[in-house]
Order: sequence, then structure tokens, then C-alpha cells
Amino acid sequence: MALLEVKNLRTYFFTDDGVAKSVDDVSYTVNRKETLGVVGESGCGKSVTALSIMRLIPMPPGRIVGGEILFDGVDLLKLPEDDMRAIRGNKIGMIFQEPMTSLNPVFTVGNQIEESILLHQKVSKEEAKNRAIEMLRKVGIPAPEQRYKEYPHQLSGGMRQRVMIAIALSCNPSVLIADEPTTALDVTVQAQILELINELQQTLGMGVILITHDLGVIAETADRVAVMYASHIVEYSAVNEIYFNPLHPYTVGLLGSIPKLHIESDRLMTIEGTVPVPTAYPVGCNFASRCPYATPTCLAEEPALKEVETGHFVACHHWDEVKVRRPEHLVEAN
Amino acid sequence: MLAFIIKKLLYSVLIIFGVMTIIFFIMNLLPDPARMMQGQRADLSTQAAIRSELGLDKPVVARYFDFMGNAFTGNLGRSYTTNLPVLESILERFKATALLAFSAMIIATILGIAIGILSAVKSYSLIDNLSLVFAMFGISVPSFVMGLLFIIVFGSWLEILPISGYVDNGIEYLILPMVTLALRPISIIARVTRSSMLDVLSADYVRTAKAKGATQRTVIFRHALRNALNPVVTTVSAWLASLLAGAFFIEYIFNWPGMGWMAVEAIPRSDFPTIQGVVIFAAVLFVVINFLVDIVYAWLDPKVKLA
Repeated sequence: MALLEVKNLRTYFFTDDGVAKSVDDVSYTVNRKETLGVVGESGCGKSVTALSIMRLIPMPPGRIVGGEILFDGVDLLKLPEDDMRAIRGNKIGMIFQEPMTSLNPVFTVGNQIEESILLHQKVSKEEAKNRAIEMLRKVGIPAPEQRYKEYPHQLSGGMRQRVMIAIALSCNPSVLIADEPTTALDVTVQAQILELINELQQTLGMGVILITHDLGVIAETADRVAVMYASHIVEYSAVNEIYFNPLHPYTVGLLGSIPKLHIESDRLMTIEGTVPVPTAYPVGCNFASRCPYATPTCLAEEPALKEVETGHFVACHHWDEVKVRRPEHLVEAN
Repeated sequence: MLAFIIKKLLYSVLIIFGVMTIIFFIMNLLPDPARMMQGQRADLSTQAAIRSELGLDKPVVARYFDFMGNAFTGNLGRSYTTNLPVLESILERFKATALLAFSAMIIATILGIAIGILSAVKSYSLIDNLSLVFAMFGISVPSFVMGLLFIIVFGSWLEILPISGYVDNGIEYLILPMVTLALRPISIIARVTRSSMLDVLSADYVRTAKAKGATQRTVIFRHALRNALNPVVTTVSAWLASLLAGAFFIEYIFNWPGMGWMAVEAIPRSDFPTIQGVVIFAAVLFVVINFLVDIVYAWLDPKVKLA
């Protein structure tokens, strides 16, 4: 049994401009010790999926209108709020994109790590303090006894993200959701943070959902990848398959837009057109208007996500054509 | 923290010093008090006698140093009309003002913050809209209108509360002026708290707190409220200071023997030492409250201490 299984999740936002189907029929699974990379551009629904798992969607205007989120076989969407609270920060930890603003400015970092421990475990204050210091050490913060007493504004962005990781991991969660954990950080710090997450994953045996728009990050860390576009998963497979055998035109486009050092070109490749707005998705395939492979079928009929090769899922009517016609040099170059 | 307090304390003393200097020289721009006391019929020798009695015959610089020296030992001179020491009269009257101001502000702060939090947490609900209507009413109806209205309703029609006056330990005398006085600060504090809380409730660290599994109560009171209090403290302290300086209308309407009323009485009588004393006393109050507020800011926001 998978550790965490998202099944046909639908999260909609009911706004004045209409219903925004931010997450529409999304399914994925995460196993122990495995990293699932969720990749896609801003607004494609990857963060909303994660917040739905935590049941932290702001309601109103948001609402989870359908699907199941099975965690150890239990549907989180059916749990009473109190039971859900016992899971948040305890069994499922989450870190966010903005380390600069994700810590409360009026409490010391030690206090903020302790809070999480005291919420979920029956330990004394003294014990919680020791564990908080231990967590600071684990995430590689030098002089943890000293840092314990400091306020967030006294730490750098990378340090703060380490503190966020310490908070998220303080109760030994079985799942860690990392929502763009490195986007706001310097490139050198990015690598350190990813390495840290990887390391802790190995020692603690958690499943990790790594949300990012950076294919490079995915390549380094993920075991499996879900590519999201306009509220759907369009391609879902092992990480190598995504890079060497992309079967969805959007994935091909994403890979093509990465600059390559060994191929000379004047301009970067882009994907033509823009993403449809989530309040007005087209009838057929959401990507059809931008897709070089699109046919009248694509405009009329929404493609379902189906397994086309072993362990490789694609939501495209013309995946076989993509496989033949995709520019091979783009694929090989990765 | 100690260095911070000492620094703020020194600033406070400096401000009081400046205020006193300015007040002294402004008072000196006014016409000769000896002449004003005597009116049209004054003969020169009596005027000279009064001047020398009040020390007005000395040069202005000498009088300035006398005044400052006396003031720092607590001597603000004697009233021209009652001949009582000014400070003593002020302190006597201040008791009533302070009782009114503190009781009104305690109610206003507690109710204002409570209403503000409730309307922020349940934003755009019925409760929020009702509190908006209440606040608009509280802010826009002048206090003398509310005061008279309360007197008519509770004092005259229902006859459950005395319409005016002051009695030691007479809590029933306090209720009407206190409620009248509290109405506007309640409304303003509620609105300020609401908007500040709404800002904070959508902050990333509030989401972090929720993701930790904190209860809604912890999220609101521990994580959000403390961050939202800054503008609220500013509002509360400004209102407290201005109410402590005397609420002229309310004291007048309710026949409340406070400092504001005293100042209003002193002005047409040209009782300069009293006016001067009330102004200095009010300035000191403002400075003291601002000093305390600075310490509260530092406690609320750890970043302030470094500044």
C-alpha cells in the first residue's frame, strides 16, 4: 500500500469571476523513502494540491469538491478537524517557498520548533528544548544553542529555510511536502537545502513531495515525476522517462525551453501562447491551443491520463506521434 | 533592553524641557496679567504692587529660570483666581479625569479588540457587517450628542442612572460618562484591530502555524494577535493620552469635576498659571504614555530593540 495516495482530487475556488478549477482530477502516490517531483508553471495547481493534502485551502473561497486523499489507508478528507490537526505537522510536515516570511517574527526560532514538538508529543518543556536544539544541529545550523535563542530576522534566508525544515521534521513525519523549498534561495544554498532534504529523507525514511517549477531540481532529487499543466497531471512517470522519453507535448516544450550549453542557438525555445485561465478552461485538451500536434479531436475531447508504456502515464491523444516527431536532440541533451 | 529604556527616558526628559520652555514664552506673549486683573480702573501703584508680588517685574530671562527651577521641584505657581497651588488643584481634579479616562479606555480596549478579532476571523459575515454599522455610528455621532441622548434615555426616561455629578466611589455616576466616552475609541480600535488582523491572518507564518497543527485559538491569539497589535497599541495610547488630558465636552455635560473642565474655566478668567499648569501636566502625561508605549513596542516586536 502506498504511503500517501491522492485520488481524483478536485479543488475548486468559487470566485466572483466564476469557478476556478485549480485542481481537476489529480491523482498521484508517494511511497516511503521515495521522492515524487511535481513540476509545472505558476498557477498550474501544484501548490493547491499540496495544500489540499494538508487541508489548508482557504475556505471560502476554496473547497475540495471531490476525490480522496488516502494516508496510510485513511481518507484525510473525511477526518474531523481535530484528527486532521493531529496529523498536520506530526505525520505530514510541510515547508514553504518563502523562508523570509514563513517564520513568525515575534518568536525565537527555538520557540517555534518547540511549539511543534509540544503540540504533538507528550514531553516536558526541557525535553522539547533539547530536541529543538538537536533538530537545529540536524539541519546543519552551526552553534545551535546560540541560534535557538535568536529571532528570524537575525538569520539569513538559507538559515531560515533550514529552520523551516527543522520545524517540519521535528516530529519525524512520514511525509514531507516541500513546496518550492529552494525557489527564493541563492543557487549555492539551493543545492545545500536539496542535499539536506535528501539526506534526512534517507535517515528518516519519509516520502517526499517536492513541488517545483525547476526541472533541474527534479532531475537531481526526484524518483518519479508528475508534470502538471492547467490543473491536470499531463504526464506521470519515473524521472528518467520524463527526461529521455517525454510523451506529452507540454513536457517536450518544457525540456526544450532549458538552455543547452552544447547547442548553439540565438533564442531560447518557448511554448507559444498562454495558459488558459482556470475559470474558463476549454472543452477539450487544455494544452490544445498551444500544441503543435493538436487536431480537431483535441479541441473536442479531453484526453484522459492513461498508462501508455509500463509505469508511464500520459494525457494526450497523440502521444505516439509525439514519440516519433519530438526533436530528439532536445531529449538526448538532457 | 536597559540601554533602550535609558535612551528613551532621556529623550522624554528632553521633550518635557522643550515643551515647558515653549509654553513659558508663549504665556509671556499675552498681555500683562496685573493690568488684566485690575481692569479699566487700575491705578499704577496697585499694578506695580501686583507685578512685584507675582514676580512680573523681573526680566523675562530671570523669570524663565525661576519658572523652570520651581517647576522641576513641583511648584507650578499659584492660581490667580483661587490662590491655591496649581499642581495641587490639578492633582485634585486629575483624580476624576483619570478615573473616567482609564475606565473608558479599559472597556474600549477590551471590547474594541474583541470585536475587531471577531470581525476579522468572520470577515464579511453578518457579525462583521453589524460591527461595521456599530463602528460607523460610534465614530460619526459626536460625543456630546451621545451624552445628551444617554442622559435623556437612562437618566430621564428610564430613571436608572443619575444624569450628572461626581461622588467618591459612586460607580453609578461613572457609568454614563464612561460609556459615552468609550464609544468612539471602541469603534476605532475595533476597525484598526480588524484590518490589522486581516493582514496578519493571511501572512505566511500564520499558514506555517496551521501547518504545524496548531489549534485555531493558538493561531489567532498566539501567532496572529501579537503581530497585529502594533497599530492597535498606537491607537489605544493616543486615545488614552488625549482622554487623560481631559475630555472637555463630557466633563462639562456630566458635571464631572475633571482637569478638562478646570482648564475651560481658567481660560476666560485669564488664570495663566492654571492654564500653563494644565498644559504642562498634559504634556508630561503624553510623554510618559509614549515612553511606556515605546517599551510595549519593543516587547511586541523583537526587531525594535536593535533600533
